[in-house]
Amino acid sequence: MDKQMDLLQGTLDMLILKAVSLGPLHGYGILLRIQQISKDRLEIQQGSLYPALYRLEHQGWIASEWGESENKRKAKYYRLTAAGKRKLQTEAEKWNRMADVIAGVLRSTPEEV
Amino acid sequence: MTMWSRIRSWMRAVMRRSRMEREMDAELRFHIEAFAEDLVRSGVPHEEAMRRARIEFGGIEQAKEECREARGVNFLHSLIQDWRFGLRMLKKNPGFTATAILALALGIGVNTTVFTAFDALALRPRPVEDPDRLMGVYRTKEGENRGALSYPDYVYYRDHTKTLSDLAMFGGGMALTTTDLPPAGPEQVPRVVSTFGFHLPQLLQGSAHPLMCFFVSGNYFPLLGAQPAAGRLFLPEDDQPGAQPVVVLSGNFWQSQFHSNPGVVGSTMHLNRVAFTIIGVTPADYLGTLSSAPVLWAPIAAGPLVGNGTRESLENRNVGAGIVYGHLKAGVSLPDAAAEMNVLAGQLRAAYPEIERNAGVRVASEREFGHIDADTWPIVAATMGAVALLLLIACANVASLLLARAAARRREIGVRLSLGAGRRRLLQQLLIESTLIALLAGAVGLPIASWTLHLLVAEIALAIPSSWGAIALQVTPDVRIFGYTVLISLLTGVAFGLTPALHALRVDVNSALKDNGSMLGERLSKSRLRDLLLVAQVAACLVLLINSALLLRGSQRALRIDPGFDSKHIVYLEMYKATLSGYSQEQLLQLNEQLLEQIATLPGVDSVTQASRGPISGGNRFVPVGTADAEPKANREVNDERPAIGYSYVLANYFETLGVPMIRGRSFTAEEADTRAPVVVISEATARRFWPRQDPIGKRLAIGSAHGQPPYPGETAPFSPESEVIGVARNVRNLALSNPDESYLYLPLSRSRQWISTLLVRTSGNPTSLLPVLGSAVRRVDAHVPAVAAPLDWMVSFDPYFVISRIGGVLCSVVGALGLFLACLGVYGMVGYGVVERTREIGIRMAMGAQREQVLGLALRESARPMLLGTAIGIAASAAISRLLSSMLFGLNPMDAISFAGVSVLLIAVALFAGWLPARRATRVDPIVALRYE
Repeated sequence: MDKQMDLLQGTLDMLILKAVSLGPLHGYGILLRIQQISKDRLEIQQGSLYPALYRLEHQGWIASEWGESENKRKAKYYRLTAAGKRKLQTEAEKWNRMADVIAGVLRSTPEEV
Repeated sequence: MTMWSRIRSWMRAVMRRSRMEREMDAELRFHIEAFAEDLVRSGVPHEEAMRRARIEFGGIEQAKEECREARGVNFLHSLIQDWRFGLRMLKKNPGFTATAILALALGIGVNTTVFTAFDALALRPRPVEDPDRLMGVYRTKEGENRGALSYPDYVYYRDHTKTLSDLAMFGGGMALTTTDLPPAGPEQVPRVVSTFGFHLPQLLQGSAHPLMCFFVSGNYFPLLGAQPAAGRLFLPEDDQPGAQPVVVLSGNFWQSQFHSNPGVVGSTMHLNRVAFTIIGVTPADYLGTLSSAPVLWAPIAAGPLVGNGTRESLENRNVGAGIVYGHLKAGVSLPDAAAEMNVLAGQLRAAYPEIERNAGVRVASEREFGHIDADTWPIVAATMGAVALLLLIACANVASLLLARAAARRREIGVRLSLGAGRRRLLQQLLIESTLIALLAGAVGLPIASWTLHLLVAEIALAIPSSWGAIALQVTPDVRIFGYTVLISLLTGVAFGLTPALHALRVDVNSALKDNGSMLGERLSKSRLRDLLLVAQVAACLVLLINSALLLRGSQRALRIDPGFDSKHIVYLEMYKATLSGYSQEQLLQLNEQLLEQIATLPGVDSVTQASRGPISGGNRFVPVGTADAEPKANREVNDERPAIGYSYVLANYFETLGVPMIRGRSFTAEEADTRAPVVVISEATARRFWPRQDPIGKRLAIGSAHGQPPYPGETAPFSPESEVIGVARNVRNLALSNPDESYLYLPLSRSRQWISTLLVRTSGNPTSLLPVLGSAVRRVDAHVPAVAAPLDWMVSFDPYFVISRIGGVLCSVVGALGLFLACLGVYGMVGYGVVERTREIGIRMAMGAQREQVLGLALRESARPMLLGTAIGIAASAAISRLLSSMLFGLNPMDAISFAGVSVLLIAVALFAGWLPARRATRVDPIVALRYE
């Protein structure tokens, strides 16, 4: 197996929500945070990050405001909204259920069928 | 919550577009620079770090585009872009744009016109209080189901009903005169009338002013909820026998004659010499339950004072008095009311068995003006269907035009597809272009509709003599109708935009880029449907055009026909009989003598005569006639099977004055006329009919019977068991211009016993300039008598067949020209499409040495077959139809070669021209260019 995995469709949104749930971040920060918590095992297309951010903001899961970055530059910070928090929770539950089911299926042996 | 945030972010994106773009730039720049800084920190040189950061990020523009898309801005933005692009494309092809817009605009305009007219006539509720509950009560008897109730019956229903709130009656209208106003000026001649080439008789300038008065019951205005513009309206106490005579003015009359002066209320106005008090004014254009506004309103009880019925007729259950209206009471349905009325009708039948036998009563909704019953529906549906079909054809043609254009734009579309344009986006752009055309067409169609409506209704209303009342249909296209137009335009846009757009998208990028038209010998992707459409269009418009040519040529011929009398020098003059209701027989005869005397001495007048009607003018009168010796007299009264023949009572000098020569025998002597001797002058046709190849002089005719009904109130039906034929007059077209061989009788008119309201004046000069002189002569004799007059030439052009053939001819040519235009559009589109499809083939042929003419023929051949087929069908159908028209052609051969051949050649020429325009392009194909893309 390769060291880096391509993202499954639809999981980028969930990862972004998770990343900003730990505190407001700018776009580049979100990228780093995801890489950090996935221990660099997930490959994210940088170009696809921003459309996803814009879409999430448009849907109201996250909100943005301009602030100052660590090195004193203007940057746009994203934070989780209350609706986003709920969304993250339901998505995570769904994901876990799905992972359990898939794992169960893959674990099954011929005798069990 | 999320919905709201979504809208907010969308709004922000749309409203503050430039700010959002700036922020997006800043954000992405920050990302790349931050990334680069991290790389620099790990030891990469600055320049190299920036480069790697950009590469890692990927396509910045693509990311931005996706960001915009994520916000939903893109759709709107691309819409605006496509809109602008569409406008540019339309501007680039002004010819195409103008044709498409005009074709659609005509379709939309005609549809709006018909819809508006239909709405005004049939759908719009009457402008009264609670129109949904307004009911009409009618008498039914022997198949008649919209009969008028008699006044006593009306009173019975009114006093006994418990389901209808009050019953009011509209008692008909009548022209009255007044001497309190200046004499009438010349009436305006409406444009539409001069277009069609006929005149209505004019109110004689200088004579008294006839005013249309409607008679209504005292509870009519309260029932309808009418409010006065000044003073008050009628109350039930105004409508009592013996009440002080009162009158209400219409707002229109109040404005035009009294300049809306409220001081006129309370003053006196003499109507037919009876003093009426003006008590109020209705608002302008107030119609009540009718479709035209009168000049005056008076109570039914005042009718007998001015000659609208008599006191006795208002008490007679045999005399219909008017239409009855009422409102359903709350909680009562129409069947409830009908059931109650039927019970009351039963009580009346029991009380008056001999009068009310077989009579019943019917209650019907009176919500709208028009009554579309089972008989009218097919006509209405056919009109609407035809009009909708016209729009459909216009759409189909514009679609084929667009298809031709789409073929020409194949390369453009191919280029855009290969550059990465989404098919959805392309479809959107093509649809927007056609929607744009449709919207522009809607914008052009609306004024067309308002203009045709104006022409149809306003001009026709103007053409109606003002004394008949003012037609006040609401025909200005209103908001609803505008919505209808826009809806049609949009539906049309989508409908005709879709086909070519989908077709264009089937383009194979590779072949489009190589400009791969049809290969030599390959069959074109041609549509059978389009061929059929063209056949149908050509055939239909040929039928219309040939028949319009026949009708117009026929009616032109009618104007040159010799009617058998001297129509050029005679003026027809008729007095308003009704306004003379107060006169005794002696007074009438005296007035008549004075009038004859006055007119005979006028300068320019050669002679004056009188007749119960003039040739082609005045109401027709018929009487059963047979030879006196042929049939047993007893038979006649029961079942009269003798032919009904037209007749006039005439003075002795009638023939001389009208220039009708006596073929045999003589005219009446003054003495015979005065004593009403049993003598008769007959037309040549009558002589031939009863006594073929015999001398009719001295033979006897049995005219009419003792039971004959008078043709008009106040006249007596002719009755003479044995009238001697004393003369045979040359045939005259008396009843219809189209019949050169008409049986007709002339009976002696007694000047001293019989009063007749019609005069015929012969002048040596111009009859039109005699009209004002005649007006003042009438006024000198009696200032109360209004009269209409017209040179007999006008009356000839008012012959019903002439009018029908003129109107039919003009309408057919308008619709036919419209059809021709659309058919040309079809040919244009078809040939244009073919030329583009075959550019390469044409190029090869030209390279091989084909001549210009051969190339033209090649381009035109595709459309020639359906065109010729359509022409053949059209000629055959016209031949079948024109035979039915023969009675309106005034002797023109129904197979008239000029109409058939001329119109067919014209149509083919015009259609070929329409094909030649795009075919020209084929000859300009440069073989080198056409072959280069190989």
